[in-house]
Amino acid sequence: MSTLTTATVPTKWWSGGKSPFNVEYGKLMMWYFLMSDAFTFGAFLIAYGTVRFSTNGWPDPNHVFKSYPFASESTFAPLVFVSIMTFILIISSVTMVLAVKAGQEMNKRKVVVNLILTIIGGLAFLSCQAWEWNHLHHEGAWWGHNPFLNADGTQSTTNFTNFFFTITGFHGFHVFSGVIINIIMLIMTLNGVFEKRGHYLMIEKAGLYWHFVDLVWVFVFTCFYLI
Amino acid sequence: MEHSAHAEHHGSKNEVRNVTIVLTVLTIIELALGFMMMKMVDGSAGKLSTKAFIIILMIAKAYYIVGYFMHLKHELRNMIMTIVVPLLLFVWFIIAFLYDGNSFKHLRNTYDPYKNAQKSVIVEKKEEGGEHKTEEPAEKH
Amino acid sequence: MSNEAVLHAPTTTITHHHDAHADHGHEHHHHETFITKYVFSQDHKMIAKQFLITGMVWAVLGGLMSVLFRLQLGYPDAKFPWLQDLLGKFWVEDGKITAQAYYALVTTHGTVLVFFVLTAGLSGTFANFLIPLQIGARDMASPFMNMLSYWFFFAASCVMLSSLFVETGPFSGGWTAYPPLSALGQASPGSKTGMDLWLIAMALFVVSSLLGGLNYIATVLNMRTKGMSMTRMPLTIWALFFTAVLGVLSFPVLFSGFILLIFDRNFGTSFYLSDLYVNGVTLPNEGGSAILFQHLFWFLGHPEVYIILLPAMGMVSEILSTNARKPIFGYIAMIGSLFAIAILAFLVWAHHMFVTGLNPFLGSIFVLLTLLIAVPSAIKVFNWLTTLWRGNIRFTPGMLFAIGFVSLFISGGLTGIWLGNSALDIHLHDTYFVIAHFHIVMGVASMFGMFAGVYHWYPKMYGRYLNNTLAYTHFWITLIGAYLIFWPMHYQGLAGMPRRYYDYSIWESFKQFAELNRFISTVAMVVFATQLLFLFNFFYSIFKGRKVTNQNPWGSTTLEWTAPIRPGHGNWPGEIPEVHRWAYDYGKDGRDFVPQTEPVGANESHH
Repeated sequence: MSTLTTATVPTKWWSGGKSPFNVEYGKLMMWYFLMSDAFTFGAFLIAYGTVRFSTNGWPDPNHVFKSYPFASESTFAPLVFVSIMTFILIISSVTMVLAVKAGQEMNKRKVVVNLILTIIGGLAFLSCQAWEWNHLHHEGAWWGHNPFLNADGTQSTTNFTNFFFTITGFHGFHVFSGVIINIIMLIMTLNGVFEKRGHYLMIEKAGLYWHFVDLVWVFVFTCFYLI
Repeated sequence: MEHSAHAEHHGSKNEVRNVTIVLTVLTIIELALGFMMMKMVDGSAGKLSTKAFIIILMIAKAYYIVGYFMHLKHELRNMIMTIVVPLLLFVWFIIAFLYDGNSFKHLRNTYDPYKNAQKSVIVEKKEEGGEHKTEEPAEKH
Repeated sequence: MSNEAVLHAPTTTITHHHDAHADHGHEHHHHETFITKYVFSQDHKMIAKQFLITGMVWAVLGGLMSVLFRLQLGYPDAKFPWLQDLLGKFWVEDGKITAQAYYALVTTHGTVLVFFVLTAGLSGTFANFLIPLQIGARDMASPFMNMLSYWFFFAASCVMLSSLFVETGPFSGGWTAYPPLSALGQASPGSKTGMDLWLIAMALFVVSSLLGGLNYIATVLNMRTKGMSMTRMPLTIWALFFTAVLGVLSFPVLFSGFILLIFDRNFGTSFYLSDLYVNGVTLPNEGGSAILFQHLFWFLGHPEVYIILLPAMGMVSEILSTNARKPIFGYIAMIGSLFAIAILAFLVWAHHMFVTGLNPFLGSIFVLLTLLIAVPSAIKVFNWLTTLWRGNIRFTPGMLFAIGFVSLFISGGLTGIWLGNSALDIHLHDTYFVIAHFHIVMGVASMFGMFAGVYHWYPKMYGRYLNNTLAYTHFWITLIGAYLIFWPMHYQGLAGMPRRYYDYSIWESFKQFAELNRFISTVAMVVFATQLLFLFNFFYSIFKGRKVTNQNPWGSTTLEWTAPIRPGHGNWPGEIPEVHRWAYDYGKDGRDFVPQTEPVGANESHH
């Protein structure tokens, strides 16, 4: 990065003939796509907030998300399973960063290893989500069905489960497509496409997408499980 | 620019490790607050301020992910601005939506006697976990 | 990311125009078949024409729909058996347009005109055509995504078109698709299959506009030629840039709103539904909020107004300056006001919802923010007028339409100040006053911007001129007709005549408007017929129009006129021109105009 910019004359970034941000267009597009996607998720979460603000009472998430795989029926372990999911996603984000770094260093082997770890992280997260959905479904929760009562014991609306399944579903769909993208990146790396190209910029773009998925989870996790 | 160039080549390993630690610690604090909140009374000042604090932590986590993992902090200042400034639209987006949602609740509670009554009717709770319960359309008059 | 990687990447056509040039060399040897040249083309100029012509097809269909429902409004008692033969029983029964068909027509007219004609047809055409040519790029940043953008639009068009032919008819709940009507199939036949198709079409459309918008933004930022700093760009590019930003940030919110609506329709959720009785049956849905949909819808819906208007503003600025042979007045103020409009566009959405149960205090803040838009709008209007002031005006057809745009923008904009008041809105909401306001300021004005653009850049698009006599006829009838149609609607609206009624003749209060309604309908038909004149002119001139022999027929400073008369794929045969000055050096130092490519002379005065 230093070759062009360490010149003593300040660079005229905006004068045309070059990118004002010193990034290629693909990365720029990915950034603005993610901005756009942020508004999609933002709209979902804000809609959730709006309905929650316009409803009397709301279920206590601790009494809904309180189990984990192989636990007995009466287990009361709130926040345990979801914190595992959160850490899985954070760790997979870290391995993605390492894959991107390895790409910058043109280290194919390291890229492959870290991409595989990221994909495993993504699949682990999806499996956790699948288990949780399945568990809730068995308790009678689904779109249009809410077996849980409000925290104060009054009748709850179905919007609690409606929003939960829609938004975590939409996030899960993003994780899923992120995994697919990473698998494609892995195949391309193994085939030496990026080595021939001389740069691993595609991995960077896939990385941006993957971190965004992690970022959204930070918000979903807070909005649905914590507050 | 020179500074960020250095950061990329020398500080990156440490940076990834440090940010991972920060994210982990923030998440643990969030979880601890989540456990603390369980004992608080719904709607109490303590619970509300804990929730507000959790939201601040959430934004801090977002900052670390976007800034370091997504590398935005090391981009040119102008690029950072084109990403961050449009996000400010969320401020009014959130305020207006939530304010109006809250107002709608009061409207319904004021002008819909059924809703108003419903909000204090305690439903007989079945055993923990519950079973598949069919949704009956609520009776109305 | 390392610079070496970027700058030496052989496949990325970024920044360095030498790289781009090398790429271009490759493409020249590439053999172009009919399919790659005219159908799945990746040339921005061809994609622009595809957008334009598809937009024109939709404009004709949408316009025809308005003629049909104006027929009902103007002649509620007349019978048209021949229409029944033509359209079938769903649309026309006993020689009368059915109520269901009327609402379907109104809905489809709105959707099609707003999204397919004035969004895709306007910014799709001119962003594609002008951005690379005016900033000095070989093509868009990603020609492939650009092609996808068109084909997603085409798919959206096909789905929307197919909805006209389903048994239960197209969606008929208004272009805003408010639930519960749009969410409940049992509430109206139009909310059955027609609504599903409508939602699919709109979802495809959002994808198309996202693909296009990302491309426009990345191209404007990254692909400007040497010397083309942001403040040397023509105002068209600035306007198209802000348009793309608006689209990229606001369409996703609509998309979310639609996803929730799809769940309400198909999966038993109650995001927008609560306390409902349909045909005597109580619905189980409980706890949703219909106002939520309106918030989500108008969070797009308001920026959408500016997505439609900004490209027209940009093109008008350019055309006015060129044909007044004067620099645009207040170039930086023009950019600033575009920016202000783009920001305010996101902050004012709820002024469409003053009387829907929106909190009145919140409404008052929205009034304040809404009225603030008058400031940048007024700046723009005064700058256009001062650009014209003492100019050496050439009344080309493009120029006439540009002046017509300014006129319409003023007359339509002023009524916006009325409607922006939540108190006045109690009386004026959902009346013909609203119809008149937004048709003049957004609909007709943007159409005028589009016509101005087509007349002005037609020589660049096809290397031929349009026929001027037809063009002048088209202009005068359309301008006068537009005022004759929409001006009287203000009076109807002030008198309280509501919009979206099927038949006003059965209302004692609105019977007095029967004559006026007939008059409006007659003028609407004449104006529609006049547009056919334009269509004829357009398609005839592609093949038979007078050939352009001058590379720069309007004496313009901007880059597109330095390209060959019929530029090939890659736009400039040799090097991309370098830019040395802003785009508005008209009438400078005794010279008629100085192209952007000319280096600044030693003794030149500052602009």
